[in-house]
Amino acid sequence: MQITTEQIKAVLGNAQILNGIDFQAKDNQFVGIIGPNGSGKSTLLKCIYRVLAPTEGVVYLDGKPLSEHKVRESAQKIAVVAQHNYYNFEFSVREVVMMGRAPHKKALDRDNAEDYRIVREALKTVGMSEFEDRSFSTLSGGEQQRIILARALAQQTPCLILDEPTNHLDIKYQLWLMDIVKELSCTVVSAVHDLNIAAMYCDYLYAMKDGRVVAQGTPKELLTPKLIRTLYDVDSKISIDEDGMMHIFYYPSSLAKKEVLS
Amino acid sequence: MKHTRKNFFEKKPVYLVVLFMLFIALIFSLLLAVTIGSTSIPLADVYQVVFYKLFHVGDPSFGSGKIHDVVWFIRLPRLILAAAVGMSLSICGVVMQAVVKNPLAEPYVLGISFGASLGATLSIMLGIGTMFGPNYVGVMACLGAFLISIGVVALSNIGGRSTSVKLLLSGMALSSLCGAFSSFIVYFSNDQDGMKTVSYWMMGSLSGASWENNLIVVPLAIAGVIFFWTQYRTLNLMLLGDEAAVTLGTNLYPWRQTYLLVSSLMIGFVVYSSGVIGFVGLVIPHVVRMLFGTDHKKLIPLSALVGSIFLIWADVLCRVIIPGMELPIGVLTSMIGAPCFIYLMARKKYGFGGKE
Repeated sequence: MQITTEQIKAVLGNAQILNGIDFQAKDNQFVGIIGPNGSGKSTLLKCIYRVLAPTEGVVYLDGKPLSEHKVRESAQKIAVVAQHNYYNFEFSVREVVMMGRAPHKKALDRDNAEDYRIVREALKTVGMSEFEDRSFSTLSGGEQQRIILARALAQQTPCLILDEPTNHLDIKYQLWLMDIVKELSCTVVSAVHDLNIAAMYCDYLYAMKDGRVVAQGTPKELLTPKLIRTLYDVDSKISIDEDGMMHIFYYPSSLAKKEVLS
Repeated sequence: MKHTRKNFFEKKPVYLVVLFMLFIALIFSLLLAVTIGSTSIPLADVYQVVFYKLFHVGDPSFGSGKIHDVVWFIRLPRLILAAAVGMSLSICGVVMQAVVKNPLAEPYVLGISFGASLGATLSIMLGIGTMFGPNYVGVMACLGAFLISIGVVALSNIGGRSTSVKLLLSGMALSSLCGAFSSFIVYFSNDQDGMKTVSYWMMGSLSGASWENNLIVVPLAIAGVIFFWTQYRTLNLMLLGDEAAVTLGTNLYPWRQTYLLVSSLMIGFVVYSSGVIGFVGLVIPHVVRMLFGTDHKKLIPLSALVGSIFLIWADVLCRVIIPGMELPIGVLTSMIGAPCFIYLMARKKYGFGGKE
């Protein structure tokens, strides 16, 4: 599936968060959005997954404006794994994942054997099969995040949006989650904090700052010490190892000068 | 696919069996409770009357007379009303908790009880609404309840779309306002009898039960349960919040308004027929949720049955606990409900408003 945005602007309160964003994710592409806190990554994603309405500009899903989709239809196309998932009420893991089937259901439809099969499959994919009957609220942050990924998988959409999904995860599961997502044959749009992860998994990157896209390209084209300096105000060094993998090293400002001098 | 672990369908019958057993328990409760009362009537006579009226079999002498009147015009309609009221209150409790996304909500949280009391006060003290016929107090209470919920919905929509927090705050604001007006009227009218009637109304009683009233309240309760049962997916999504619900294909906003209006209609008629009966709508959903989880597919039918069984027996208790006197049922449900609630709150495992 293809997602395009045209001159998206968004205002929250009095602040202009997005300043005319043109963005594109092609079929089966893994697109990453990088940028410092407050650069508008999440806001852009929220405009795409319909939690925020842009004040100007249009989002297109496969060429059709988002506003012409019913909420149910857009949920059949885009599944979301967001940062915070935290509930006051106790649901079992199965029930949470089953909610991923909601966009495919009409009011009087019942959950059938096929739905249960899809739920089981999704739990298996994220390696949480034995947690089926557990209460969602008793799981750790990382486990909960995997269940939310399973819910998104159960939605069976051609596009997946990850809004900084690896925040709660330790390194093993960060890589593991990105591996799972990478293997899905669907369009993925992800906000990424960790540039090494962005370099490892993304086909294409957008770099955002102050509500604008300041650069875009493949990780190898885009990620340079100069850009990292512009985005994050941090000195860095980039090396490419014998396997062709990019590694980004940062220098804290206290050490930066010494390192550069020596 | 291998079924090495628990299959989903292996768990399903448990809940269906419980549902069936509760249904049988409801029938038995009705049959048992109808034999209990301040007038002692032989068991056999009670059932003869019931059977004669329902199926026209047996001795026609049970079709009239004193025993017939007590069983058929006093006890049975009252029990049926208790079942319907218990059902409506617990279902509306479940729905309100989802609508405002807060486990502390109950049917009366959005100002409905204070709206009802203002309606009742206006009619009792100032005689407003006498054109509604003999039960004008009930009609006014029902109107008050319904108008207040519309007011709450309208108020929560001012300055941007209504959210669960805004609903809760609007409910509290309008509750205080109605409460203040009721007190104002009561204080200045200085009418002792009227005050007693108002407080009686606020304590709730099923003694006004009649077949005519049941003809409205019972079908409404059953229709409400069926309606909300079909809505279980949306109710589940409500607990995840607006953002997650949109990504899962449902815009909650119109549904919140719809559910509120449907439940205030149900509650309005409950208030009309039996006054304000507290805590049922709070405690029953919680107990069911603790045992069977939050999934509304199970929660709705189970709460409906548990609520009606609970209220049938609460009413029986009210009638027999003090010989020769009847305890207002609202007082009893609060006496049972509040400690239950405190117990639930003190339990660490059960999440209230956040993760432990």
